[in-house]
Amino acid sequence: MLAQRIQTYLAARLAADGDVRVSNLHRIPGGASRETWSFDADWNEGFKDQHRGFIIRRDPDASLLVTDRDVEFRVMDAVAGQGIPIPKMYWLEQDSAWLERPFFVMERIDGCETSPEKVLMAPRFYQARSRIAEQFVQILARIHALDWATIGLDFLGVPESQATCAAIEIERWEAVLDRDALEPQPVLRAAFSWLRRHLPAPAQRIVVVHADHRTGNFLCNSDGEIKGVLDWEMTHLGDPMEDIAWACMRPWRWLGDEKIGGLLDRSDFYRMYSETAGMLIDEKAVRFWEVLGNVKFAAILLTGGRSFCDGRTRSVMMALVGRNIARLELEIMDLMEV
Amino acid sequence: MRPNGVESIRGIQAALTEVVSPEVQSEFTRNVLQTIQMLLESLAGEWDTAAEDLHKDNRKLADLLLLSAQAIRALPHSNDQLTSIVDEVEDVVSGEEQQSLVVSTMTATNNQLLATLERVLAVFGDGIDDAEYAGLAPVRRAIYQHLREVAVRGWSFWDAASFRERMARR
Repeated sequence: MLAQRIQTYLAARLAADGDVRVSNLHRIPGGASRETWSFDADWNEGFKDQHRGFIIRRDPDASLLVTDRDVEFRVMDAVAGQGIPIPKMYWLEQDSAWLERPFFVMERIDGCETSPEKVLMAPRFYQARSRIAEQFVQILARIHALDWATIGLDFLGVPESQATCAAIEIERWEAVLDRDALEPQPVLRAAFSWLRRHLPAPAQRIVVVHADHRTGNFLCNSDGEIKGVLDWEMTHLGDPMEDIAWACMRPWRWLGDEKIGGLLDRSDFYRMYSETAGMLIDEKAVRFWEVLGNVKFAAILLTGGRSFCDGRTRSVMMALVGRNIARLELEIMDLMEV
Repeated sequence: MRPNGVESIRGIQAALTEVVSPEVQSEFTRNVLQTIQMLLESLAGEWDTAAEDLHKDNRKLADLLLLSAQAIRALPHSNDQLTSIVDEVEDVVSGEEQQSLVVSTMTATNNQLLATLERVLAVFGDGIDDAEYAGLAPVRRAIYQHLREVAVRGWSFWDAASFRERMARR
């Protein structure tokens, strides 16, 4: 029983007088790179009853992304307290003996939603959309303003120079395609060739790139307050335009119109970001990063398909996503203007 | 044979919606059921025309590769890379003429043709800014037109959301 194993783990981690009781344990949809479990815990500590909601992110049997859970944990831990809303990180557990696979434990933020369907379409969020949009941009600007060396994020790997950021990401994602594609991918291969011929100008500065900042990856309440920025597993140091382009990608324009993330017009996004971050939007660079973003997303989906076909997972999600890069290919060809 | 493949998939989908789903309490399991529905929808969408689509794709790819080889041969200068790709095209296209309509056999052929197309597009991309390669442009456009037609045919779970408006404009 997973609940019992979690109880045993928490008893070893918390300064509890006696048993820890775990209740309401359930798995949360989404988060395809890791299993996400929510539960309540009750215990007694120093003669006081304690109650807290927790989230466990456990390594899956196979995943869309091959990432180290300690990268996500360390990044979130370092970023907490830097003016960016983030759940409190409690423990990183590499020992599979506790819950069969490595995992980490973090704070559960209640009263919020992440799913784009709810955040963008539920009537109680309608009034909050402009507030969400504003915070979405402000938070991105704050991430890009982080002093990554001071908070210890240089372990992510510092690009040799501002001019090498793009080439590093091309190589990173081409390697994923080399490793995981099960069939020839002429559009994606042509895109890598296009990217090498259209390298952007050097990054204005090297920043923390969240690398998955989009609607669907933050927790927000119906007052429009973003309470937690999630999914930091692809975070690296690089060009801020990479995050701008990723946020603009068509797959996250959930309402089927041209609004960025279903939240705001592209021109408003650019203007608000420039004003807040004090950096100019380089539209040529954004186009480059948008092509690379779509290629990267396709590569991620192909990784899921590979996991399924190799028998490392029976997840139907992995089967579905592996078959679903056609629309991304169309978008890539549009962006390349071919 | 009736019910045929698509009719059977529709039956499975109806059972999931009407019988299984109402019994499911957990949000996670409901989410898995939705994913299964989308996967079944994707399969149903290609079931009836899978063999014909592959057959046509393979013929079209073979034609495009032959046109590519002709265009490369017509270039004012050649080199080892260009000679090699022309040889590869001739080799792979001659193997395409098999008549099997078994989907897995046609898929294997499709993969061979696409692998060669990858390399042809690389050559075309390398020469895009070179005036000597201008003769390749019409074939390059035709190749991308075909890749677009194949991509438009592909079913996607985004059809219901973010790609809806763009697809409607096409």
